[in-house]
Amino acid sequence: MLKVQQLTKSFGKNEVLHQISVDFPEHETTVVLGPSGSGKSTLLRSLNLLEHPESGQYAFDNRHFDFAKGITAKDTLMIRRQTEMVFQDYNLFPHLTVLKNVMEGQIQVLGLPKKEAEAKSWELLKKVGVASRAQAYPSQLSGGQAQRVAIARSLAMQPKYILLDEPTSALDPEAELEVLKVLKQLHEENRSLVIVTHNLAFAQQVADKIVFLEDGQILFNGTQEAFFSPKQTSRIKTFIQAMTFAQI
Amino acid sequence: MWSIIIKALPQLIAAGIKYTLPMAVIAFIFGLILALITALVRLSPRGGAFNIIKVIFRFYVWLFRSTPLLVQLFIVYFGLPYLRWAPLWPNGIKLGALTAGIITFSLNTGAYASETIRAAIASLPRGQWEAAYALGMTKRKVLQRIILPQALRVALPPLANSFIGLVKDTSLAASITIVEMFEVSQQIAAENYQPLLMYSLVALLYAVVCSLLSWLQGHLEKITSRYVLKRP
Repeated sequence: MLKVQQLTKSFGKNEVLHQISVDFPEHETTVVLGPSGSGKSTLLRSLNLLEHPESGQYAFDNRHFDFAKGITAKDTLMIRRQTEMVFQDYNLFPHLTVLKNVMEGQIQVLGLPKKEAEAKSWELLKKVGVASRAQAYPSQLSGGQAQRVAIARSLAMQPKYILLDEPTSALDPEAELEVLKVLKQLHEENRSLVIVTHNLAFAQQVADKIVFLEDGQILFNGTQEAFFSPKQTSRIKTFIQAMTFAQI
Repeated sequence: MWSIIIKALPQLIAAGIKYTLPMAVIAFIFGLILALITALVRLSPRGGAFNIIKVIFRFYVWLFRSTPLLVQLFIVYFGLPYLRWAPLWPNGIKLGALTAGIITFSLNTGAYASETIRAAIASLPRGQWEAAYALGMTKRKVLQRIILPQALRVALPPLANSFIGLVKDTSLAASITIVEMFEVSQQIAAENYQPLLMYSLVALLYAVVCSLLSWLQGHLEKITSRYVLKRP
């Protein structure tokens, strides 16, 4: 179980997250929605400790941390190993081939022998459908391929959680579909996913839970059915209408 | 004319192999190590007491970039023997000419190259650090495996510049009694009264070495840029 409480994060005078409390259940897909600048990405990045909130509690399984007191380098590494991140702009390592991108963390972080890491990497590349590009460099990939490699790279670390920060926002609709198929498969395997996205149709298909953020605060935190129900608040209805182009 | 050249050439080449090249190579290696340390210190986000170390390194870069190399050589070789300080050097710091030369060239190259390396590291997208950290790598691993290999590609042309510059700058060592290539050419010219021929010949030798280095640079650029998409 991954859980944050009373999380507050500012950049300078700008408070991006205000007293956020939310939990991300294991083996479920949590989708984080909200307009741009609402703090979605900052929340996700805080879970991986790429951001350091000023205050709040962070619970990972039975370990509890207090952001105000800081988290030691050792605990930070432990948390990062368990929560892998997939970025909007992929952030593959351009100087390594696709295969080596997937192997790198297994060898350098998990300490696996090269052969084992390589076998595992092939298996994962097949799973996400880019095994044919294993020897290519990231610059030779399409966006959809690159993002699937990034997903394989995160899976290779056998994390408890995979955090995806707008994984398809930089992709055209067909490439997006390729990536979403992979994510849907992960969802069906009951992996623990936290996805920040603008794709409501996808959220509707995979979300076990939806969190809606605006101006650094949670406006909704509940099931997918409740989020899309007609009894929803007018703010969220407006958001859904805008995202689905219901009224132009 | 040819007989003069044939007589002088072996002496010049010998001096080049014995002094010019070793001085340049050793000073460049030390300079690079110093440059890497300097760049990492200056880029480090650490504050507090660490700021004092940062200031020291900034001062070092400022000092060696703001004063002429020839003057630096004179200070280290001719000046330091007069730096008498009872606890450590009661008789001043007396260095051999070659040691003084290598130390000065290393410090000078290190100051310039540190700026090259600092810029190369800073030019990489933040996402590269983040992706590596997200995998759970330590800072050391991130630098070793992800950042420095990519920074090397960016830094290679300006570093090659520094090395080529250093090879030529070793001629200044003649003024601190090192009998490197240029010094030998001066000695021969004094004997045979052929300054134009001798200095042209030594110039040609520098040009040959530097051309080889340029070629090597091109080759290394190809290797380190393998992963970059070729633009038509």
